[in-house]
Amino acid sequence: MVKREIDIAVIGGGAAGLAAAIKAKEKGIENIVILERNEELGGILPQCIHTGFGLRYFKENLTGPEYISRFIKKVEDLRIESKLDTMVLEITPDKKIIAVNSVDGLLELRAKAIVLAMGCRERTRGALGIAGTRPAGILTAGTAQRLMDIEGYMPGAKVVILGSGDVGLIMARRFVMEGAKVEAVVEILPYASGLSRNVVQCLEDFNIPLLLEHTVTSIHGTDRVEAVTVAKVDANWRPIQETERTIECDTLILSVGLIPENELSQTAGIVLDPATGGPVANELMETSVQGIFSCGNAVHVYDLVDYVTQAGELAGESAARHVLNELPSLRKKIALKAGDNVKSVVPQIISGEEPVALHLRVKKPMRNVKVKMGNLSIPKRVVRPPEMVVINLTEKALEKLEKRDELEISIEEETEP
Amino acid sequence: MKKKEARVITCIICPVGCRARLTMKNGKITEIEGLECPRGEEYVRRELEAPVRDFFTTVRIKGAVIPVLPVRSTQPIPKDKIMDCVLELANVVVDAPVQAGEIIAKNPLGLGVDIVATRDLDRVKER
Ligand code: SF4
Repeated sequence: MVKREIDIAVIGGGAAGLAAAIKAKEKGIENIVILERNEELGGILPQCIHTGFGLRYFKENLTGPEYISRFIKKVEDLRIESKLDTMVLEITPDKKIIAVNSVDGLLELRAKAIVLAMGCRERTRGALGIAGTRPAGILTAGTAQRLMDIEGYMPGAKVVILGSGDVGLIMARRFVMEGAKVEAVVEILPYASGLSRNVVQCLEDFNIPLLLEHTVTSIHGTDRVEAVTVAKVDANWRPIQETERTIECDTLILSVGLIPENELSQTAGIVLDPATGGPVANELMETSVQGIFSCGNAVHVYDLVDYVTQAGELAGESAARHVLNELPSLRKKIALKAGDNVKSVVPQIISGEEPVALHLRVKKPMRNVKVKMGNLSIPKRVVRPPEMVVINLTEKALEKLEKRDELEISIEEETEP
Repeated sequence: MKKKEARVITCIICPVGCRARLTMKNGKITEIEGLECPRGEEYVRRELEAPVRDFFTTVRIKGAVIPVLPVRSTQPIPKDKIMDCVLELANVVVDAPVQAGEIIAKNPLGLGVDIVATRDLDRVKER
């Protein structure tokens, strides 16, 4: 077995991991290794051929491949080592990493700091429990995207999409552009789960029906999908039987949510937040295990890659400071708890002493709200589940904040005076 | 008789996502309701008069590790030209290596934009 001592190991070579590695290198850390499962760097972005990336970070409207290639080039220019086709099997709490690939065989790395940047994966049919047969032709949106835009296969000709997450909406448009017919996008909620920009440009532009408050109740077909049954749901998400109808199709695409990938965090004994599915992180992106940091969609699912990059940079900088023995431990710890209409908040622990950006996911859309955090009250025009709510706690806001060990963040609709 | 019509356009400029209800006469807007700021009105007028979209798709590539190359237009194109442009590029096959930014189709359909590669793809050695 190959054994090596390194300064920083970055697990995952997507947007978060690349940003972390670059930042750590720029902070003067020499011995960094990126471990990547795929045969190329870039994570999900090489298959996101649409535009809309980088508007915040680069102030440019880039496609996924264009966005990520800037970071891949930088990794190469800085001569940061990356091991591709490499599967990490285990991380221990004392920062030993067991990985495997076909060149080194089994690999044991001892790192002074680790950055977890594994990203997220898609919920599958198994997580939904849809009745019916198990034919071919049921794919997650991301798998369909990879088949179409990386591997050059056409996954289907007559398509129903379940769930209106962004990747599902994007794929609705791609299917139509490649000559398929998209019969409907079926969403159980009364509003789309994806960004409104995608609803307009991917569905409305191509006259694809969006069936809100509907779900797929059954899948038909033996070898290949032949049809699905859809029905309207009541307020408790129960299908209303009289509204059932059958839509003929050969493909069912699932776009029903993303889950942070954290099996490795668990082997390292890291505390996870049930609300996000990712590690509990403090404002320096440090997890519950000292010297292990986390960032990007492994922590919680972001709406924009630009934020993922920023989180990666922060985690990379913290990891570098840890290696250099410059990382302060938080003198004060304020635990942030999700209150009314807040699904999750990251970071979960702040010091209350340094300015920090909080990222919130809300449960339901609301207009004219106040984000309440202890004695602070921050107005917002709208909050919507697809869009991350960003709260910048500036120095001034922190001065005003009454610091307690625990603070609840809740979102309340303003009542008319 | 002059025809009155109604249309709804969602403003996508910011996350508020206002839904503009338009009243129109002979294809001209007579009234806009439901927008919360002037940026929305500008967007709605553009959407009605000359909507444009970013354009991107893939073309076939030979001699690279993967069989498709992602491409985009250098500028947005008219919305109603998206499918024509897709068809125009349907039979394009390029040879690796290709560099991001390289022109794959020059001024297709006379739209005044070029179609460029959005990633590098090296040539792989034949086995
Ligand atoms: S009209 Fe103004 S406030 Fe409303 S969505 Fe458009 S930009 Fe946002």
